Amino acid sequence: MKARSQAALLAAPAMAILAGVAVLPVLAAIWLSLHRSILVFHEERFIGIANFRFLFSDGRFWSALGTTAYFTAVAVAAELLIGLPVAMLLQRGGGFFRAAILLPWAIPTAVSARMWAWLFNADYGLLHRLLPGVDWLGSPRTALHAAILVDVWKTTPFVALILLAGLSAIPGDVVKAARVDGARPARIFFSITLPLLRPAILLALLFRSLDAFRVFDAIYVLTEGGPANATETLSIYAYKTLLRSGDFGYGSALSVATFACVLGIGLVFLRFLGRER
Amino acid sequence: MKRHLLVLVACLACARQGREAQPPGPVTIVLEHQPLWGDPAAFHASLERFQQENPGVVVRTQTLPNASDVAREMFLTALEGGADDFDVFAIDVVWAPEFARAGWLADLTSAFPPERLRAQYLASTIEAVTLDGKIYAVPWFLDVGLLYYRTDLVPRAPKTYAELQSFARAAMARNPGLAGYLWQGRQYEGLNCNVFEAIWGHGGDLLRDGRIALDTDAARAGLGFLREAIASGLSPRSVVASAEEETRRAFQDGRAVFLRNWPYVWAEVQKPGSPVRGKVGFAPLPSETGAPGPGTLGGWQLAVNAHSPPWRRRAAEKLVAFLTSGEAAVELALRYSRIPARRAVYDDPRVREGAPFIAALLPVALAARPRPVTPYYALASDSIQGELSGAVAGLRSPADALSRAQRIVDHLESR
Repeated sequence: MKARSQAALLAAPAMAILAGVAVLPVLAAIWLSLHRSILVFHEERFIGIANFRFLFSDGRFWSALGTTAYFTAVAVAAELLIGLPVAMLLQRGGGFFRAAILLPWAIPTAVSARMWAWLFNADYGLLHRLLPGVDWLGSPRTALHAAILVDVWKTTPFVALILLAGLSAIPGDVVKAARVDGARPARIFFSITLPLLRPAILLALLFRSLDAFRVFDAIYVLTEGGPANATETLSIYAYKTLLRSGDFGYGSALSVATFACVLGIGLVFLRFLGRER
Repeated sequence: MKRHLLVLVACLACARQGREAQPPGPVTIVLEHQPLWGDPAAFHASLERFQQENPGVVVRTQTLPNASDVAREMFLTALEGGADDFDVFAIDVVWAPEFARAGWLADLTSAFPPERLRAQYLASTIEAVTLDGKIYAVPWFLDVGLLYYRTDLVPRAPKTYAELQSFARAAMARNPGLAGYLWQGRQYEGLNCNVFEAIWGHGGDLLRDGRIALDTDAARAGLGFLREAIASGLSPRSVVASAEEETRRAFQDGRAVFLRNWPYVWAEVQKPGSPVRGKVGFAPLPSETGAPGPGTLGGWQLAVNAHSPPWRRRAAEKLVAFLTSGEAAVELALRYSRIPARRAVYDDPRVREGAPFIAALLPVALAARPRPVTPYYALASDSIQGELSGAVAGLRSPADALSRAQRIVDHLESR
């Protein structure tokens, strides 16, 4: 009993900080989302769930949600598919390669997005010269894929690093034993490496999905959500509504919706991760 | 309980009163403005002069972030919180009606009577700072959309859209690979400026009875012209993703005949080493009729914080008067290439001599028009951008996009 209360006492400061910086702001946003709050017009009144009712009929919200989901699914899948072979190569490579591959991850997103914007530029861009005819940022269909490409370029190293850690944790004896038993490399990969790598893969998926779902900076710098809102994600829509338009009530409702989605994704992954233990 | 509350309220009232009384010593006022670029020494010297002329007043300056969006966020949160730690601040031309409506800007009508301002300043700049007949800010310097053209490729500046088209086509036929007309079609505030200019150029008006009107014949013609420019190859597809710098660079590299942009481009294209140095002219935008086409008015105004206490407000008004004087405007033009909002400055011999480009901008400045002067503009601007972008990118017809934009605007204005 004494040990328990002591543990609670020791954990209290951390819990208080968590509550202060995480729980309270979320509750405040939820509270604000139940209001009509437009700064400039001094409107501030409780309207219950009216913002959410509007949200459900708001085409721009659904389109932003679809864009965000598509971005997350495609970007994270690509990062995982490219990150795994990269991790396996890195396992053989030395420290130099491990450091070098982290370069895209180390560059601030706003800077690298600006750089990519020039690569995509339809008059000067290198990519435009390599693939003339593709209008990277100017067409609603390709603009989102351009953003996905930037995200994949930037965060694949991060995924690779997590997977590398997972690979290093696989005991060499198991692989050796399989070889002695005459298993081919493909068989070893699918029957030993992949199953033992599951926790690392889930962890990478969790981190990346949560991050990708809240994507803001790369897309904001590349297109600001255009053309025709085709690359507008939930975060960008919420930002524009909150800070450009000054509609704090509806902007908060959008933020809360984003939060709910992220929370849902997080819980699903944590469930899978929990099962691993 | 009730009594406690009363005591508390009384105490708060006392505290408030305490703050209202003027503290002894000099009055310190704070000026917040965006960086002026160039050596700040000249500007600081002029503030020094102001302090000598007004003993007992100390001016401190704070520099705002250069991005207009970020500065706006700062002001939104600070002013909504009732911040009174700055007295005079520079606001973007589109914020004036919104901030005034919110009650964040001191009413300057008595210190700066509208009739006097109208006599001294370009009409559009005063229109932009007037809400319900009251003055809420004083124009500091302006910005305006204009047309750049290649003097070696076309005979003269085009006056009409038809001329723009035929001049560009002729030059493009002689020089394959050349783009005709560059403008800014990316989904951002600059797109609104470009489309509004095309609408005005087709005889349109963006305000009807104080409300934003987009579903009009002139608007369909204006937006239709821009879309058709892309579809017909007059403008390259790249304009759909272009902001100012992308188009400026292409024009400066000699890849285009015409460019719609802001005055800052002039200094860039005339720099030593610029491939088009000495081959560029500028003019008001074209229009349907051949009259100078209106360019969107941008630029900065000086406002006084409504939360400033009275004794600081008087000093603040004096500072605004000082910074927006004719002399200050001449200095801004000469030292910082800022374009005057006062009519007389364009004829000042010092400006004609030292900044001939600015003196020559008068016809462009006279044709400038503000974006819809309504508190709802900032609220609606972002949604308008999305719809206009849809038309420019060819996703839907201009008529369709404009009626969608109108529906959103009506919805916003109705609440």
